[in-house]
Amino acid sequence: MSNARRTRNRIAQTISFWLFRFATYAILAAATYIFLDIGIKGSRTLFTARAPFINVPFFTQGPQTLFVFDYEGKKYTLSDREFRAWKIEHPVEVEATSVAYSAGGVWPCIVGTGLLVIGSMIFALAVGICSAIYLNEYSQNTRSIRLIRIAILNLAGVPSIVFGLFGFGLFVIFLHWNVSLLAGWFTLGLMILPAIITASEESLRAVPNGLREGSLALGATKWQTIRKNVLPYAVPGILTSSILGIGRVAGETAPIMFTAAYALRDEMPWQVQRWTDFVFQGVMALPYHIYVVSSKIPQNEYTERMQYGAACILLLLVFAIALASIVLRERTRKRLSW
Amino acid sequence: MAEVVAASPLAAPRPVRRWRADDFIKAFFGSNALIAIVVLALITIFLFREGFGFFGQNLRNIRLYRRAGLEYVDIMRDTANAHAALSRGLNLTRKSAQTTESAETLARFDQFATAFSDSAEDLNGLVSDAGEKAVALRDALALQAGDVDRGGENEGRAGAPPVDEATTISALRANTATFAAITSTMAEKIRGLLKTPPTFENAKTKRTFDSWSKRVENYLAILPGTTKKLQSWDPDSPVPAYRAVTSFLFGRDWITASFWQDWYGIIPLLVGSIMVSIVALAIAVPFGVASAIYVSEIAFPAEKQLIKPYVEFIAAIPSVVLGFFGIAVVGETIRHLSQSRFFHWVGFFPISERLNVFTAGSLLALMAVPTIFTLAEDALRNVPRGFKEASYALGANRLQTIGRVLVPASLSGIVSAVLLGLGRVIGETMVVLLCAGNRIAIPDFTQGLGAFFQPVHTMTGIIAQEMGEVVRGSIHYRALFMVGLVLFAITLAINYGAQKLVQRYRMSIG
Repeated sequence: MSNARRTRNRIAQTISFWLFRFATYAILAAATYIFLDIGIKGSRTLFTARAPFINVPFFTQGPQTLFVFDYEGKKYTLSDREFRAWKIEHPVEVEATSVAYSAGGVWPCIVGTGLLVIGSMIFALAVGICSAIYLNEYSQNTRSIRLIRIAILNLAGVPSIVFGLFGFGLFVIFLHWNVSLLAGWFTLGLMILPAIITASEESLRAVPNGLREGSLALGATKWQTIRKNVLPYAVPGILTSSILGIGRVAGETAPIMFTAAYALRDEMPWQVQRWTDFVFQGVMALPYHIYVVSSKIPQNEYTERMQYGAACILLLLVFAIALASIVLRERTRKRLSW
Repeated sequence: MAEVVAASPLAAPRPVRRWRADDFIKAFFGSNALIAIVVLALITIFLFREGFGFFGQNLRNIRLYRRAGLEYVDIMRDTANAHAALSRGLNLTRKSAQTTESAETLARFDQFATAFSDSAEDLNGLVSDAGEKAVALRDALALQAGDVDRGGENEGRAGAPPVDEATTISALRANTATFAAITSTMAEKIRGLLKTPPTFENAKTKRTFDSWSKRVENYLAILPGTTKKLQSWDPDSPVPAYRAVTSFLFGRDWITASFWQDWYGIIPLLVGSIMVSIVALAIAVPFGVASAIYVSEIAFPAEKQLIKPYVEFIAAIPSVVLGFFGIAVVGETIRHLSQSRFFHWVGFFPISERLNVFTAGSLLALMAVPTIFTLAEDALRNVPRGFKEASYALGANRLQTIGRVLVPASLSGIVSAVLLGLGRVIGETMVVLLCAGNRIAIPDFTQGLGAFFQPVHTMTGIIAQEMGEVVRGSIHYRALFMVGLVLFAITLAINYGAQKLVQRYRMSIG
């Protein structure tokens, strides 16, 4: 090979490697920009300059209407409750502009999202682990099992809005559960199910066969083997990889839009008359709240506070979950290396 | 002894399988494993259950459209609309001629334009008169039939006043003669106007005007044909049943809650979804595949340790947060950029809408990148070591090995990664709902690439937006379920294709 050609090849290689590098870091930069923008503008809402440094009302109140008005040369921006108190003190007519949702906080949304996540993960983990145990421990590679696997893969690709429509058709209308926690749990649970099954199966597969064979050779039944020799080693892995599913459930909006979420609700979930009403009530949810505040009200200086605050909280929440999953995964990998 | 004899038929050897505890446990787990199939079946069943009534209702809707004479009026309305379009063409010419022509020419031109748009006054009056009659008849007929959508259900059939359908329709059809008379006077007026066309100094304006005159002549030529169409129109000619399906699958209008006629055509939504996906993939595929190559072949181990978890973080961003970011930041940024001098040479800039196909597509690209990156990186890593070593042994450098060996060997894996990315993009709801602009119209493709900077509505977006507001059981409600069904079918097909590709790929290398 001639020297010139070799040089040319090397130059081509260097240039294209830099292009690949640029593409990679461009993605990271774009994502970083989003994190910083939402993080910085959101932290103005979440934190305060004075002790206790955390904007307590934002975390403890429900969303309220914001009132903006001028009075004696001073500009006031008051939440609904404060405005009423102010009017009692100052019995004068003021012309106030009202901006919906822009005052108060997101406490009911956090509670609602928490309830939705807990319920749907319990359902998805119970069904998902049982399903994975069958697929990995009992089944042979028959035609019906292949069909099940294809179904799981395809279920994973169904758009979340279709799950929403399905949940609306089955739970809300057909079973008459109306817009309720229960409908949200099942809709979200079914949506996350394929991911849980896949993760659980992977953990089960990682348990060496010697453990099963040893147990069976000692006369244990299949179930005893699974319970004593397989599950204890697989469950930590299953749980850690399922954490990522929690993040997805917490951030999804489309499936709960018609099944579980209300735009505004004054009562907290535990303020129900009978305990049976608990599961049949709709809740406010953080992702749906972000949708409402970013699409139903205009973008201006007054609304920005709530919009960025809510987006930042959800982002932090999901990242905390993702970080926990990554850290735990590394630790399990180190501890359980066969 | 008697007992034994009595028991003997039961004790006879029969292959009774005894169920032990373990079998029950196995059956329990097995039934759980079936849930994926059950859920897929349930999704299909419930989408069909809620959506399938759409076709019947849509057929009734279209039949009523013909029976009440709305179709008849629409034929006339098309003529009036074509005239209005020609008037708009004149206005555009006026705008572009503003700087190049003298004030005198412009004044004469304005006179001409006004005379032209006035020539359709009678026609417009006729259309709106006939339209009112047709709508009144339609509402009366709907009330008689107890149609849910037109609010006739509560009053019931008994309360509905009897409709003299034949008289009303024949009164409506008497308009054919009026239409013929009006259009012929209008044609004469326009011909008279064209005999003394305004003159222009500027050659370009003149050319524009000449092409406009040609359009007018075409318009005048088809007028008699329209009259014939009106004459041959028959309210009793049956609407074939397949029209209910074709008007949904190939319909170019999605018009709901209008006082005139509702149309449920999926094409504008489908086009919107596809255009957004094209933009998203056009950005995400190069970046996703390039970064997969970079991480699996070029990056240092420390870089890998950093980039892979970071991409996982990107995958974890909730779509609604991305959508909010699009509204708050990206849309405005794109509009600002389009107004800057740097992009002055782009024909369709500056753009008017900050929320458009490109805004949504660029954000969806960020959602598709993690999917494409992860799967493509997997595919590249699974290429057997020997392939790479053989390539190096033959004297290829790293770039040649990547381009000629690794990428071709993992191509089907990469393609299936792209397909799964497409599935994710086309089914994504919140970003397009917030950032695509939500205008239900097929973009104007005459602008070329500019069409990608116009607002659209998508299949996922329309479900999310309208589902909360529709009346349960109405035709609109069922139409939304049908859109969901189409979406479901598309994503299933994409997924299935991706899986088939992966299987083949495993066989060829494994």
